[in-house]
Amino acid sequence: MTLNSHSEPIPTQDPAGDPYQTRANTIVRASDHATPLELSNITIRYGGGKGGAEPVNVVEGFNLTLHAGEMHCVAGRSGSGKTSILTVGAGLTLPTSGRVLWEGQSLETMGDDEIADRRRALIGYVDQGGALIDGMSALENVLLPAVPDGEVEQRRDMAKDLLDLVGLGRRMRHRPAQLSGGERQRVAIARALILGTRVLVVDEPTASLDRTSANRIISILKDTTSDGIAVLVASHDHELVRLSDSLTELN
Amino acid sequence: MNAVQRFIRSRVLLLTAAILIIAMGLSVLIQGQSQAALNRTVDENSRGLYDILVRAKADTSSGKGALIQPEIAGGQGGISFDQLEKIRTMGGTAVAAPISLVSRVTQNLQAPRLDAMDYLGYNAGLVGSATVGAPAGTEAAKWPAAESVLDAQPKNYRLTATAVSSDGVSERTLFKTSAEGSLGKGRFVEEQTLGGKSIRIAGPAGETGIKFPAPAGGSEHNLFNLSVALPLAPEVTESVVAVDPAAERALLGSAGDFLAPLEKAPPADARDAGAIGRHFESLFTNGIGMDELEEGPDFLGVKLKYWAPLMTQYQQAKRNGELTADSQAIPLIVREGTSLDLKYSVKIEEIDASGKVVKDVGTVTRSLDKDYLPFVSRSPFALSWPGSTDHSQLLGNPGNFGQGLYNPAQWSTDFAAAPKYQDGGTQSNGAVDKTATPGDWVTVNRLPESSISGTPVDQTQRKPVDERSYREGLETGKEPAKPLPMVYGTFNADKVKEAAGDINRLPLGGYDPTPLTLNKDADGKDAGNTELKPSLSATGLVSQSAGAITDYYGLAAARGYENNADVIDAVRVRATAAGSWKQAQPEVEKLAAEIRSLGLEATVVAGSAREEANIFVPGYSKDDAGKEAPLGTVQQSWVRQDAADAVSGSLTGTNLTLLFLTLCGATLLTGASTVSYIRQRRKEAGVLRAMGWTQRKIRSWVLEEFAIGAGLIAVAGLALSLLSWNLATVLVSVSVLVIYLAAAYFTTHQLRHQDVVDQEPQHDDKLIAVDSPLTFANRQLTTNRFNSVSLAVAVGVFGAAVGALIAVLIDIPRAAGASALSGAAATSVALPSIVLAVAGVAVGLVLTLVTGRFELQAKRQYLGILEAMGWNPDMLGQVRFFENALVGTVALPLGVVGALGLGLVLAPYAALWAALAGFLAVLCWIPIATKVVK
Repeated sequence: MTLNSHSEPIPTQDPAGDPYQTRANTIVRASDHATPLELSNITIRYGGGKGGAEPVNVVEGFNLTLHAGEMHCVAGRSGSGKTSILTVGAGLTLPTSGRVLWEGQSLETMGDDEIADRRRALIGYVDQGGALIDGMSALENVLLPAVPDGEVEQRRDMAKDLLDLVGLGRRMRHRPAQLSGGERQRVAIARALILGTRVLVVDEPTASLDRTSANRIISILKDTTSDGIAVLVASHDHELVRLSDSLTELN
Repeated sequence: MNAVQRFIRSRVLLLTAAILIIAMGLSVLIQGQSQAALNRTVDENSRGLYDILVRAKADTSSGKGALIQPEIAGGQGGISFDQLEKIRTMGGTAVAAPISLVSRVTQNLQAPRLDAMDYLGYNAGLVGSATVGAPAGTEAAKWPAAESVLDAQPKNYRLTATAVSSDGVSERTLFKTSAEGSLGKGRFVEEQTLGGKSIRIAGPAGETGIKFPAPAGGSEHNLFNLSVALPLAPEVTESVVAVDPAAERALLGSAGDFLAPLEKAPPADARDAGAIGRHFESLFTNGIGMDELEEGPDFLGVKLKYWAPLMTQYQQAKRNGELTADSQAIPLIVREGTSLDLKYSVKIEEIDASGKVVKDVGTVTRSLDKDYLPFVSRSPFALSWPGSTDHSQLLGNPGNFGQGLYNPAQWSTDFAAAPKYQDGGTQSNGAVDKTATPGDWVTVNRLPESSISGTPVDQTQRKPVDERSYREGLETGKEPAKPLPMVYGTFNADKVKEAAGDINRLPLGGYDPTPLTLNKDADGKDAGNTELKPSLSATGLVSQSAGAITDYYGLAAARGYENNADVIDAVRVRATAAGSWKQAQPEVEKLAAEIRSLGLEATVVAGSAREEANIFVPGYSKDDAGKEAPLGTVQQSWVRQDAADAVSGSLTGTNLTLLFLTLCGATLLTGASTVSYIRQRRKEAGVLRAMGWTQRKIRSWVLEEFAIGAGLIAVAGLALSLLSWNLATVLVSVSVLVIYLAAAYFTTHQLRHQDVVDQEPQHDDKLIAVDSPLTFANRQLTTNRFNSVSLAVAVGVFGAAVGALIAVLIDIPRAAGASALSGAAATSVALPSIVLAVAGVAVGLVLTLVTGRFELQAKRQYLGILEAMGWNPDMLGQVRFFENALVGTVALPLGVVGALGLGLVLAPYAALWAALAGFLAVLCWIPIATKVVK
């Protein structure tokens, strides 16, 4: 399965030190993929601002090196910081301390515009529940990432292929309110892949889905790795954990 | 969580209640302040020097609210002294002061002269007899060395005398006369005479002197100067009014103290002109001290400082046989200075024998100005040769010895009445247009028929000038005997004008004329508000303060009436009623009704104010072919009756309009907040319903929260009502509470779950493809039509409200009327009105922001999605901007049309400004909202 015929060669980079060394219990699986995403000594702290709330270190000293074609799962109980790690990895929020490297380049050295441009080329982010734009059809939602580069028309066929691929070829004109949770999630994955992303960041893709729908999502995610796409997924789903190449379990 | 906690956590409710309370408090506070300022301004300016203007019924037709002409002493008479006495004895009368126009008086200035310094130094023979009262004058050591601007050897000079007058707009040369001759330095000539030597002053050998045509004399040498008699200045005409000095002083207060000497004037039977002239002659025959001469000889308790003109005119009238047994002396208080623009110039050129100019010595000019006194020349009308120094002071101040007028003043009642006007249209701000009614032409710039020596005067020396009269002649009684002006004192017209105030400037009649300014010329072009000057003949529209004020005996003597004739033009009555205008008004009205029962027209002028009337002046001038041309449009302050009531009513209405608009904004805000609240609580209501709560239970659950807000508003309203203690506050408080409760009722009926899902697939061909931030924004707004339209409506309402408020603010001066009081009142309420308007605009702005919050959560969510998909900050900013721009585009017509409509209803003459303000408000909202959503 080829998702992106325009994808660039995947850079190879050996992880520096122990990539899975976290305070959490880390299970390491053998992998020698390149490292499109690397999180180094990440600490995420909430509170302690003007509101006077007690500061809490949700994540502390987290390290991760994600290689091309690898699926890494971050597991843990609610509130353990799974989503926080994903948003930091996707460059949507900045960590309190630590470094985020996309293909070896630290986000600290980039401005907001550059982060946005690099994210568009490198990262595909799928929010929990597959957040879609309500007023737009599934196809239009999938095409949204192509708007900034003015490639909507060029990507239209690919968007349709992607929707076919996720099993929604006949629902591409339906709006989010007319789709089930699983379908919305699949549309969101297709949208995340439209620009030939090299890292798929997916937050709780199977939460509140039935087993069948969940398995379908997991299958899609697993298939993407075979095309060299790295997948960073946060989930409790045992099946997803089982099929991941590596796992970080947060306390 | 109890209701209070829920209320506090429900920010929309809290915000709504807070804004309503603030709006209510502001409206009450500001409106109260504004009303107080307005009442204060009106009260301070509503009562002038008098409350009621009484005139003869036949000549007045002004109804309530009419515009009253400032010239109330128009010579029409019609009020008798019996009626005056009856007015004075009425219970409510404090002062009743009569006034009448007496006459026009035409006079020549004292013969003008040109003084060239030719000081010959001390000479005991000449000085000794001429220095009475100036001891220093006989001390030779105090006399400087002789000096002169003239050469010992006479030189030829040409003198050109010119007189120019101006009406303030254009100048007119009245004459230009030249004379030539030789002038040289004077010398003492000692001659042997019988019984000793005599000393005289003579010119140098060969001097011809310079003589202008008669009636001017020639040139002569004296101890200090060579004086050349100049052509006579043109005659000027003044008006004289009659008052009762005691009543007038009571009316004017301390500003009327100048009339004190007139109060001491003797009764009619002690004013025989011949007897008084002889009395003064005898004073000088018997000798008079220098001090007495300086202060003026005493005449029945009054020091007659200006006795010299009296004597000169007495002697001339006697010599001319004009004095008869019936001739009376007329006591006068004369005006200081003049507003007549008359310049007299002399150009001095040295010439050779052939008449060719060798040297331009210079031009000297003198105007009639503050030194001028009608009936008197305070100082000789002398012009000074360039380089001259006046050494005549060595002999003491000769001012009181001035001879006075060239000829006795000519008293006449021709063209003396008040001007007549025809009504024109009324302008948008209530200003009234008038047209002056032209009368006959009056010829000025004539020379006397004979010189002082009695020789005929060549009338071809100067060309007479015709001036348009806008006045009619006055009736007279029997042919009056020649009166003798007797100057009792002076008055300063500017100080009298100050006493009349600037806003409620009620005309006193005769000595406080209202200036006329030319606004538009004959072609309708802007003339720059040029103040017009009175004419030489004083028959035009423009008049200056009366040249002199006399009493009613003086009027009878000048007009040939018996003392009990109905010659009073107007009576200015001040009522005894005290307090503010509203308190005094019933008593003033009652007094006016009593006066009307005498058959007179009584106009209540308390509560009036001056107002600019536009007067078109036709037939003003004519060219050599006799073709007449208009002057243009002039403006003059008239008196608007009932201006106080009009201003008070109008501005109170404006205040209430602003209040209404602010409350309208609050109402809309409440509605918007309610919608927002419903949307927030629907999900919660669904949960409660799922828990088994009934609709009634859910409603009461929500109503409890509203009750907290209602309670707060009620407490605030009660407190404000008690503090301000007026009906408006109570009404505002109740209105706000009703608005709030209505919103609560509406909300609780809308808490049903209504989730409708459209199962139809989307048809892309009907939609604009999303390929840019603009199309994305467009799609979002199209999808959320209800919210988009709600927001657009809110923004449109905001624009309309801003427009309406601006219109009301701009329109305040016009709405208040055209009077000076309206300007003062509008100024006094300007700040509160602006604050109220700004409050209204702020409420409108908050309304749009609250409405904008409907979709804030959803907006944040999809902006987050776009960000996660790699849309950069600039593109996200474009999305926000385009969304607001599109909403603004929809709101723009609503805002502009709404502002225009409200402007047309509230303030038609500011409607276009309202539309512009509405347009700008909507435009300004776009970046503000873009910033807020970020």
